[in-house]
Amino acid sequence: MIIVFGIAGFIFLGVKFTWAEEPTRVVFLTWKPNQPEVWDTVIQDFQQKHQDIRIKVQVGPHSSTEYHAIVAQRLKNKDASVDVFFMDVIWPPEFANAGWALNLTSRFPVQEQNKFLPGPITANTYHGKIYGVPCYLGAGLFYYRKDLLKKYHFKPPESWEEMLTQGQVIIQGEDNPGLYIYSAQFKQYEGLVCDMMEFIWSNGGAVVDHKTGKVILDEPAVVNALTFVRDRIIGKAAPRGAINYEEPESLDIFIQGKAVFHRNWPYAWAVANDPKKSKVASKIGVGALPAFSGHSSASTLGGWQFGINRYSRHPEEAWRFIQFMTSHETQKIFALKASLAPTRRSVYQDPEIQKKRAHLKAFLPAFEKARPRPLSPVYPMISQELQRFFSQAIVGRKSDLSEMATAASMKIEKLFKLGAMVQK
Amino acid sequence: MIHRGQNFYLTLLVPVILVLLFFIAGPIGHSFFLSFHRIIIGLPQLKTPFVGLENYQELLNDPVAWHSFWITVVFVGTTTFFELLIGILLALLIHHRFPGRGALRACVLIPWAIPTVVSAQMWRFLFNDAYGVVNYAVFGTEITNYIPWLALPSTALLSIIVADIWKTSSFAALLILAGLQVIPEELYQAARVDGAVAWQRFCHITWPLIRPALLVALLFRTIDAFRVFDLAFVMTQGGPADATNVLQLYGYKKMFVEGWMGYGSAISVCIFIIVLVLAITYVRMVGQRLLEARV
Repeated sequence: MIIVFGIAGFIFLGVKFTWAEEPTRVVFLTWKPNQPEVWDTVIQDFQQKHQDIRIKVQVGPHSSTEYHAIVAQRLKNKDASVDVFFMDVIWPPEFANAGWALNLTSRFPVQEQNKFLPGPITANTYHGKIYGVPCYLGAGLFYYRKDLLKKYHFKPPESWEEMLTQGQVIIQGEDNPGLYIYSAQFKQYEGLVCDMMEFIWSNGGAVVDHKTGKVILDEPAVVNALTFVRDRIIGKAAPRGAINYEEPESLDIFIQGKAVFHRNWPYAWAVANDPKKSKVASKIGVGALPAFSGHSSASTLGGWQFGINRYSRHPEEAWRFIQFMTSHETQKIFALKASLAPTRRSVYQDPEIQKKRAHLKAFLPAFEKARPRPLSPVYPMISQELQRFFSQAIVGRKSDLSEMATAASMKIEKLFKLGAMVQK
Repeated sequence: MIHRGQNFYLTLLVPVILVLLFFIAGPIGHSFFLSFHRIIIGLPQLKTPFVGLENYQELLNDPVAWHSFWITVVFVGTTTFFELLIGILLALLIHHRFPGRGALRACVLIPWAIPTVVSAQMWRFLFNDAYGVVNYAVFGTEITNYIPWLALPSTALLSIIVADIWKTSSFAALLILAGLQVIPEELYQAARVDGAVAWQRFCHITWPLIRPALLVALLFRTIDAFRVFDLAFVMTQGGPADATNVLQLYGYKKMFVEGWMGYGSAISVCIFIIVLVLAITYVRMVGQRLLEARV
């Protein structure tokens, strides 16, 4: 669609300004967003206001991992045919270290960075320099059926155990064999790392001990959290099929009214409240994820950034495009029409946002606290090992979890050392 | 004259040889080259040192790789066996003369004609735990009995095997049908005169005479099955718990997801060697059978 518009616009302008200079073509590599029509209008608007720049959008796979493979292939070949690329929150250290992303520090100085939320800025910073501008923010959120909780006089659960207890009561009361307590993402893919980190953090665990730099996946806090997911969530609170669910499948269960609680990113709010797609529209609430008792809730930082290819021939035009795409106005459109959480603080103070997206402001504390996944230039390798370990831990084939955890810790520690080797 | 003629023919072969060198020998050679180096694309500071057999040593001690290897062997064994079995039955069926045979022959080939990515996507929906047709066909409306096929390590591999059998049995049938059609009708007539029943005619005429065709089908299927990638990639991404992480997919992940080019290339080279050895063995067997058949 965008490409068609782009070409149409190009031809149109070509006729109109035959005497003018050829506009500069900026190639934007991205993946197909959940609300493509919103992106189309925003990019159209940019082209309207910048007649000297035409944006050519190239669309990659929806899965972050597959999209990463394509971006990495093109950037490593010093392919100048990409100018701006969309970057997952876990990539900046890798892209910066490999010399693929342009250092944006002179264009995006600290006083400008301070207008954004701190989490994504940290994620885009590598050795004191910044390599990306945050477009929208992601954080694991807890969706629940407001109507069912009200019916059984429950408040949204604060602990995982409480969620199970409430769910039990609701399911027995509803007498509906197709209703589950919980739905989330447990497939062996990047999303599994996000979901499992939330369980681990909300039990006081972590992948790395920041003081010693040791990988501590074999500590009780981690092992207990994993055991909880294996024994109480998979096949019990959540359908066993969740082991093959990514975001869309798990959201499907929730919007079909087949789950009481659901973990997803902010975009799910718009989908679940759209009466055309969802059976539970306006029956849902959203808040912070539960924690294990005695610990506090944690959500994984997600979200996407704009980066500039270091070998781009049009960094100036690319930067103007990024500035437009991350401006207050554009972020507001994304928040209103695509339910994407803004990265600029000012958008949260905007009266229109406060009125129409009241829940966003309530999330601000959660967004400010959202925790990044391990930062390392070899994160893709670390993630593969984490995915393997988490998936083995929760499918329940092998019972001795702590032995598995020790082996995984050793493997992952080696990878961290490999990544740290080049940083000296 | 003859010499000049031969030179002329050899000259004509040059473009073909060049194309083969450029498109086949080149990439294979490059894979070998990469597999002897430590190349991590996210860490250009490490350069690309020559490390000899280090990648291969690591591969031999990598439990994930061995796990992938054995899964692939199970996949190859079961799919090839059932594809040949179903292939024979299908071939015998569509070899018979009956009204509508042409249409049936065309139908049998449909699964083979559908691109694997498309049929894999289709099977992913069929095997869906909540609204998949497979569950509905087996359990009807008893939704509490529904099996999450792609979420259990054992049934996930089974699902991929079923999808592959569905897709490629018709290819085996096609090859075997070709073998059936060269059996002279007179042999069957003579057998009938001698009073041989259908089973005897199959054992003594059909079976020995389709064996060369069967070997060709076996060759193609084993080699092709060893390189399985798209089914697992679309249906499960290798999960759950690596249960469908076939060797090619593991190599792909190492190379393109993790950017570990050297190690990924070492996996590719190993698959290449396995397939090459299989191919040479089969070609020798098939060659001998064909010679025997002529005598």
